[in-house]
Amino acid sequence: MKVWQFSEQAYHPAFDVPGSMRVTLSARHCDPAVAGTLLNRYLDEYVLADELGYGIMVNEHHAAATCMSTSCMTTLAILARQTRYARLLALGIPIANRSNPIRVAEEIAMVDVLSGGRLEVGMVKGAAYEVFMSNRQPARFNERFWEAHELIVEALRNTGDNFSWDSEHYQYRAVSLWPRPLQQPTPPIWMTASSPYSSIEHAKLDYTCATFLSGAVARSVFEGYRKAYLEAHGRVAPDKRLAYLGVVATAGDRKTAFQRAEQMKVYFTTAARLDAQFRNPPGFNPVKANVKMMQAGPNAIRPRLRSGAPLPSDPTIEQYIDAGLMFVGTPDDVYAQIKQFYADVGGFGNLLMMGQAGTLSHADTVDNLTTFAKHVLPRLQELSVDAPDVRYEAFA
Amino acid sequence: MSTEAAPADFLSQAKFVEIQGLKLELVIKGHGPPLLFLHGMDGVEGCARIIDLLARDFTVYAPSHPGFGASELPRPFSSIDDLAYFYLDFLDHFDLNEVTMVGFSLGGWIAAEILVKDSSRVSKLVLGAPLGLRTQEKRAIQVADLFMIDPKQMDATLQVTPARNGTLGALPEPMLERIARNAEAVALFGWSPYLYNPKLHLRLHRIRVPAVLLWGEEDRLAPLGYAKTFATKLRHGRLETLAACGHRIYVDCPEAAAARIVNFEPAKPQLRSVP
Repeated sequence: MKVWQFSEQAYHPAFDVPGSMRVTLSARHCDPAVAGTLLNRYLDEYVLADELGYGIMVNEHHAAATCMSTSCMTTLAILARQTRYARLLALGIPIANRSNPIRVAEEIAMVDVLSGGRLEVGMVKGAAYEVFMSNRQPARFNERFWEAHELIVEALRNTGDNFSWDSEHYQYRAVSLWPRPLQQPTPPIWMTASSPYSSIEHAKLDYTCATFLSGAVARSVFEGYRKAYLEAHGRVAPDKRLAYLGVVATAGDRKTAFQRAEQMKVYFTTAARLDAQFRNPPGFNPVKANVKMMQAGPNAIRPRLRSGAPLPSDPTIEQYIDAGLMFVGTPDDVYAQIKQFYADVGGFGNLLMMGQAGTLSHADTVDNLTTFAKHVLPRLQELSVDAPDVRYEAFA
Repeated sequence: MSTEAAPADFLSQAKFVEIQGLKLELVIKGHGPPLLFLHGMDGVEGCARIIDLLARDFTVYAPSHPGFGASELPRPFSSIDDLAYFYLDFLDHFDLNEVTMVGFSLGGWIAAEILVKDSSRVSKLVLGAPLGLRTQEKRAIQVADLFMIDPKQMDATLQVTPARNGTLGALPEPMLERIARNAEAVALFGWSPYLYNPKLHLRLHRIRVPAVLLWGEEDRLAPLGYAKTFATKLRHGRLETLAACGHRIYVDCPEAAAARIVNFEPAKPQLRSVP
């Protein structure tokens, strides 16, 4: 199993400001000097992750104290120079919110050549609320996503003459990538899914499919992917095509690990602070999905405990572990939890590890990453070598 | 959903008609001269009460706009112009003449967009708190942004009448589907520019039929200042306000609004001067 270090690069001093952490939080709460210090610190942690044998994952959000990385590619352009070994994963670029897909392709190509072909590219729909920042049309969002995707891939893999392009949302007279990407035909492409249906297209395209903090749902996402993959390609989907994102807090002793987990838990409570009108702009989701959401009410999207009950609104660390959102404890504990989760969901080849989250300090992050790299990472190599013996029945 | 008449009863009167290949949900009711009723953002069912009142004096044609209610939304439709041209086909389809055109809110915008293109089948126009003119100038907001409002505050922003509370999820599935489709259609036609057409103000003078603008004095979405801009751009229009009335005129004062529509008698010579 490959493990990727990930941090949302939060501006955590703003967590004390009452109210929403996204969209409406005024920028006056941001001290730019503090922001600079924090961003440099998170980059230092990524550089450490490179030395410790992790892959590196960055994301982006907008108008949010919970995530200061406003451009995957800006962050990765720095890390392309400052790291030597790590695969560099952008997960991801919200392409349907970008007004200029060719600019996206250019940045992908530039970081790929800068890094010596270490880039991996996630093209994502992104959080629903981000259409309020991009101001792109929420209706038919999905259609625009695939239109942008097609154009970006065409641009990346083009080795023939320059071409012109005209589709519903995008028109270009001359598509010509200088530089073009080092990895051919394109850097490896990732997408995210949160249901078995949304993973089908990813399987057909042979893209890596990641699911974030979804607990038991990961099993159905991966199942959907594997089924579609087998149908499309006539072979079993390799584990390396599947990824799960969870929070990891470890330390030499359980007490310290749980203290770290408490600080990282703040990620969940702050990310949830978003006003209702921004959660699901009209048209962003299909009508049928919106009807289901209205019928199910607010509990519908809560992750589940192993008992099947929804995760409570302010869960304990034990409940987060139970739901598969956090892996916490000594290296032995964490290894056992990951191994169990791996079996529960039918296996996956990539652990996207939030090794820093919430208010976790630099010193604690360094120790968290180092301890995991020394005592857990090597043991995970034995997972994901072949199709696992899956105990689906054990997972309600 | 804020309607006086039960939406299900009202909608049971709806039929489907195919116009230029588009399956349209349409209520036709009443007797008298033709009236085309163009509903606002909450769908034709939101206007049930005033449609019933108007049906006493008119043959009311009350469609669900393409994308709203149960009306189809052709994939190429993406702007208010598409709706305006569609309604010109609608008037041709039924061969309606001397039509009284009534539009509220978003429907008022659609009515204006129809008539700047062709007003030959229409004799009178009633715009109830129409949108469509510039809603913001740089940082100066003229029309509140509904997409930025807490859903719990939505009814209080749009109407003076207290909203009936109920659990959304308990509504029958077809009603939930209508709510979701109506909301999506508002986004499709009004997300950005926010509920306006930057060219409409250059074209409003082309509306050559007599018009009346009805406006709620307590419209918290598009206040009276916005109404006055509309009135000055409309060559043959006058502004009439309604007391104790918000943006949803059809919810807050359907009787008063219906009476203004029924009694709207423009000077005949002006009417006949329409080219």
